[in-house]
Amino acid sequence: MSDALASLTLCETADRIANGELSAVAVTESAIFRAQAAQSDLNTFISLEGERALEAARSVDVRIASGQSCGPLAGVPLAHKDMFYREGEVTTCGSKIRKDFVADRTSTVLARLEAAGALYLGGLNMSEFAVGPFGTNVHFGNCRNPWDLARTPGGSSSGSGAAVSARIVYGALGSDTGGSIRIPATMCGVVGIKPTQGRVSRYGLMPLSYSFDTSGPLTRTVRDAARILDVIAGHDPNDPTSSRRPAPRCEAACDEAARAGGRGLTIGIPTSYFYDDLEPDVARALEEVQKTLREAGATLRPVEVPNHDEINLVWAAALAAEAATIHRRWLRERPDDYGPMVRRRIEFGLYQPATRYIEALSLRDSILADYCATAFADCDVLLTPSSPMAAPELSSVDVGDSEDMPRLVLLVSRATRPVSYLGLPAMSVPCGFTGAGLPMGMQLVGRPFAEATLCQLGHAYQLATRWHETSPPHAPADE
Amino acid sequence: MSRITGAFATAIARVWHRFEPPGQDMEALAEMLAPMDDAGEALSSKLHFDMEPSDFALGLEAHAKDTP
Repeated sequence: MSDALASLTLCETADRIANGELSAVAVTESAIFRAQAAQSDLNTFISLEGERALEAARSVDVRIASGQSCGPLAGVPLAHKDMFYREGEVTTCGSKIRKDFVADRTSTVLARLEAAGALYLGGLNMSEFAVGPFGTNVHFGNCRNPWDLARTPGGSSSGSGAAVSARIVYGALGSDTGGSIRIPATMCGVVGIKPTQGRVSRYGLMPLSYSFDTSGPLTRTVRDAARILDVIAGHDPNDPTSSRRPAPRCEAACDEAARAGGRGLTIGIPTSYFYDDLEPDVARALEEVQKTLREAGATLRPVEVPNHDEINLVWAAALAAEAATIHRRWLRERPDDYGPMVRRRIEFGLYQPATRYIEALSLRDSILADYCATAFADCDVLLTPSSPMAAPELSSVDVGDSEDMPRLVLLVSRATRPVSYLGLPAMSVPCGFTGAGLPMGMQLVGRPFAEATLCQLGHAYQLATRWHETSPPHAPADE
Repeated sequence: MSRITGAFATAIARVWHRFEPPGQDMEALAEMLAPMDDAGEALSSKLHFDMEPSDFALGLEAHAKDTP
């Protein structure tokens, strides 16, 4: 029974709890056991709140037994990057500076998940203040990759990627400012969605960059991610930057994929930039992806994309300017309470002229317009790698503020940064394993607010492949 | 052409931000900042008189296609 619980997807679990086939308490007890069993190896949790989750699970079971409707995620244990505020509770943001910070509000996304019946199992490890694509953390210890403990799970949503990959929880929220959902998703072999800027409320989310922050789900399957995104997306009066467009119907798009596959969708294959300098295994995997999607009925065509090298650097400058504004007081008063890499990357922002920062933001619209007129002129979705590499060894990327740091950061986030600057939705989907058995991911990038299209294509791909069904070697054994 | 130097960055930290950079290699920091500055300068030629940051939110809506 327990092994079966760990192997179920989020949707299977939710649906079986809803029809009384499974009890939320049994599912939650199993998840707590796995979280505790994996902690010494993976270090995924910053805080584990098992008792609270069990209490909520009992309530779900009672309501279901009495015939009440409990929501699409009722009784499903989730855990989230430790930067989503919950009123009256500590949210560490992966930092020493905020290790005792008690939030004065509950984030809209947590409130919406709770209203949908989801259970909260705890706060997950992350890069300090969500800065860093390798998930390293000098304060809480590095989270490790369930596919190889010597390797990074990717970051900054490191615990989210590792906990979902290891089958500890059925889904997790992460944040993504330049790749922080998509990079751990690809390195841990799970699905991750970075929504369109403004699609999901930022209210109660630790800020890193007002202009680029987004939050979204990491799960094992596209359908699971779709269900979570359908719950958390949509306008929020508490976040005036959130879009007033109707929430997407991403799970319905998965149903469409089951009927139509990828038929009717045109996929653009960028002829430059994204496919440069890939690890050979990643390049081979992307070729296979193209064949699979073509067989699923999609049309593929090469597309020109604008140069992204300058965009990447301008994004970094604008992000740093916003982050440095948020952190300036602590940089002056508590510089030694930051990890060296994090402090250095935030400090970049102190040296940006205000004019340069405003230019970077002012140009976003025209660059997006160019992009839509060229890259998306004749296609619905772009197919790229999520990262040019599989997960590197922690020892090779835990380089502090050394001169090699910017190169490594730029390299691993090469495919994700420009998408964040453009505010576009993107999804990372597992697409194979390297010769060393490490997962790789493809990135699907859509036009603004086209999350449902991404889900249709991503689900069609998962219907044709089985990469997402493989469990990593360091997933905890069940009780 | 002038470039960002360690001394320049140190002066900014002291004058604009009123703090002493804590034992860092400021020349290395300047080396990291220079490419950002160059990229910003290269793109700045594309800025037109009427552009402003808030255009972006409207642009996202304008470039969306009706999707399921």
